[in-house]
Amino acid sequence: VRYCFYIGTSLLLIIIQTTVLAYFSLFNGFYDLLIPFVIFLIICLPLRESLPFILVLGFIMDSLSGSPFGLYLIVYFWLFVSLRWITRYLRVSNKLLLSLFVIGAVLVENVLVTGTLTIFGAGRQFSPQAVKMITLQLLWTVFTGPMFLLALLTIHKRLNNQPNENLS
Amino acid sequence: MFSKKMVLIIGGIVLITVNIILLSITSTRYSTFGFGRVAISFVAPFQELVTRSVRFTRGIWEHYFFLVSVSQQNADLKKSLNQAIQENNQWYELELANTRLRNLLHFKKSVTNRVVAAEVIAKDPSAWFKTVIIDKGKSDGLQKGLPVVMPQGIAGQVIEVSDHYSKVMLIIDRNSAVDALVQRTRSRGIIKGASADQCRFEYVLRKHNVQIGDTVVASGFDGVYPKGLRIGRVSDLSQKNSDIFYEITVTPFVDFEKLEEVLVIIRPQVQAFASQQ
Repeated sequence: VRYCFYIGTSLLLIIIQTTVLAYFSLFNGFYDLLIPFVIFLIICLPLRESLPFILVLGFIMDSLSGSPFGLYLIVYFWLFVSLRWITRYLRVSNKLLLSLFVIGAVLVENVLVTGTLTIFGAGRQFSPQAVKMITLQLLWTVFTGPMFLLALLTIHKRLNNQPNENLS
Repeated sequence: MFSKKMVLIIGGIVLITVNIILLSITSTRYSTFGFGRVAISFVAPFQELVTRSVRFTRGIWEHYFFLVSVSQQNADLKKSLNQAIQENNQWYELELANTRLRNLLHFKKSVTNRVVAAEVIAKDPSAWFKTVIIDKGKSDGLQKGLPVVMPQGIAGQVIEVSDHYSKVMLIIDRNSAVDALVQRTRSRGIIKGASADQCRFEYVLRKHNVQIGDTVVASGFDGVYPKGLRIGRVSDLSQKNSDIFYEITVTPFVDFEKLEEVLVIIRPQVQAFASQQ
């Protein structure tokens, strides 16, 4: 059941991101919905399960997007490495800390994407619109990202019928 | 021989180097090394299902519950139609004249394009890139590099093809480039995506006459888009003293926010007079 939940949720998020959100101009500058899910996987799953899962997600996103191939793979991998490292020293039961994780992760993703486009992209890539887009994504993240992550954690707890060790 | 810390540092450096090399390769030329097809084939059927459901629901809403404004819209459309009929008549006269002149000059009849109609089933998951997935693929005769158009103008180019689905890079994507001309003055330049539903028209020399409102069309020199296809209208123009080129912004004729159906040109138009020259 747990694996069905992980696979189903990731597929659902990808589909929502690529189809449903596209119909609402309000969500034009929405952040990557998989970011809270990736953080959730890093927190809740052991290394041998979370890493392959995250890499597969990165691969799917790279395939569906027009980004340079490997960009999402690299972003998710470094998120994994950095969050794993952070969670060695910090307890992740604090909701404020979880919120900061989501906001930080969205910021890191955007910095890596703009960095890649600026360094490797053709011509003038960094524009005021980029700043606007990052700001918009961060605002969406502040208001919805932590809630989304907490919802995932709650569902996960209920599925397991016991509090997660990392979260206790 | 090496401490654990040293191995970690070396591993980190190697990983970062590999990342940079990978990104530098894939940034210069779009490629998924064939892996992309697998993921598209897996996810696209679900995207298609959801997209059709959303459109069905929206269709019910628009056709049955949203009829209040239709009456006013109908009156406006009738007015527009009358104007269009008048214009159409003028175009028809011009077309007849054009045909007569072509016959006089013994131009070959241009080869009719074979087009495939496709439906947009998904958009790019990232706000930074402008690609869409369409519900036609290899089995429908599509291949990488084919131009994708709309009745209003050029939409993009096929960049990845699986059996039943394809990925299309829109002309507003940062990696897109179209060789183009200003229709009125024939000034040449490159249309590049600016990723905000607008394009930049680069390398247009300042010695040429370009004005706001000019129509920009494909030149056909890039070997992808047939010559003469409309791209957009010059919406902003500036010139710096030190630069030999204009800084031009072009607003595409295609509304990419409402992109639902597109046409893929399977056999790009053979220019009628190319062989004669």
